[in-house]
Amino acid sequence: MATPHTPSPADPTGTASPEEARRFHLNEDWAATVVGLVLLGLVLTGVLGADVVP
Amino acid sequence: MSATTRPGTGPDRPGTPSDDRPDPTAPAATTDGTDRTADAEAADRPTPAAVVGGLVLVVALAALTRYLEQNVPVWTEGTPLGGVAKSVEFPVYAIALGLLGNAALLALNLRDRLAAAFRTELFIKTGVVLLGASVNLSLIVSAALPAIAQALLLITSVFLFTWWIGGRAGLDDKLRALLASAVSICGVSAAISAAGAVQAKREQLAYAASLVIVFALPSIFLLPWLAGLLDLSPAVTGAWIGGNIDTTAAVAAAGSIAGEDVLALATIVKSTQNALIGVVAIALTAYFAFKVERRPDAQAPGVGEIWRRFPKFVLGFLAASVIATVYLAQVGTDVGKPVIAVANDLRTLFFILAFVSIGLEFRAKALKDAGWRPVGVFAAATAFNLVAGLAFASVLFRGFELG
Repeated sequence: MATPHTPSPADPTGTASPEEARRFHLNEDWAATVVGLVLLGLVLTGVLGADVVP
Repeated sequence: MSATTRPGTGPDRPGTPSDDRPDPTAPAATTDGTDRTADAEAADRPTPAAVVGGLVLVVALAALTRYLEQNVPVWTEGTPLGGVAKSVEFPVYAIALGLLGNAALLALNLRDRLAAAFRTELFIKTGVVLLGASVNLSLIVSAALPAIAQALLLITSVFLFTWWIGGRAGLDDKLRALLASAVSICGVSAAISAAGAVQAKREQLAYAASLVIVFALPSIFLLPWLAGLLDLSPAVTGAWIGGNIDTTAAVAAAGSIAGEDVLALATIVKSTQNALIGVVAIALTAYFAFKVERRPDAQAPGVGEIWRRFPKFVLGFLAASVIATVYLAQVGTDVGKPVIAVANDLRTLFFILAFVSIGLEFRAKALKDAGWRPVGVFAAATAFNLVAGLAFASVLFRGFELG
């Protein structure tokens, strides 16, 4: 059988263990939450306006 | 780049010994049975230049997506293609450009080197958090009950069906657990969570993740088309898309094609399913420890495990909805709506980055690598999920008002 090789966001090199991949996903969850809420805060406070977003 | 698998322990080999769990302290084994050195592992790690190069490519294709989305309808106006061009939504351009980029990178032998920048999950989760700003809290509250009911029914029925048919096909129990979790809950994230719970091998996780991505791509276009064909209401369409399509990114893509209301409900339903990962992971941990492997040192998993595995971006989605709902109530819709529209534009940007990444990381070869049995099991489970999801959504969201 051919060897699996699936670079993905969870496993860019296709060699991460399930535990490594799980930790990566949790970090990614928090990163997305923080980035998303910070961007929303910047929009609501007028720092990011319609002219800034392409 | 060498990948890791042990001879004779591929995912479609039934009866893999339960004591064949990878030792995290041991060097990984290669296909020829030799150990991979730390140097080899380090050589596999993406370089900063490769990550930057990959990101530049993703952003360039996203910019091209925006350009085409805005200009193709203008260029084709008055021609026979004008009607079609107007109805083509941005996910179509983004995924198509991603696939073209994928083919080009493959031809140039650059795809694996740049793959670390194709962060579909990060982009889509950030987009989903921003999407929360355009979803009124009252919609989340009113959809919560049917969404939870649908999630419980779908996860239970689809998981058990996949587990059963995987057993009939002779798949290893751990791969059955991974595939069943991926199809019934939320794709790659669920497969990762299940892999930790049942201590699956890394190649089993890679196969499951590949199958999820390969099957998600056609469903992005199939479900909105079928919903139109069946004349489903926006609420039922959203519940079906959110409950049926495995990955959050593909749900967002299909929802974006079907319409703004459909996208909102599909995201609520998908987020509800995502939130149940921890419960399923705990059940799997206990089942494998006590029933399948009967480990003498097995301990019952604690409730804290649910929080540990909870997808935190769902909290971000809820928080954004609360913040935007309060904001609109304070400043009024006339002042607030144009501001929320900016957040919506940002969300679209992150969605485009995610959809481009879907195309870039697509690997049809994964089907061949997986062998026919996991592919057949996954296809049967997906078909079952399609029918069961439609049935549950039609009953639970009949007459549901989206506005």
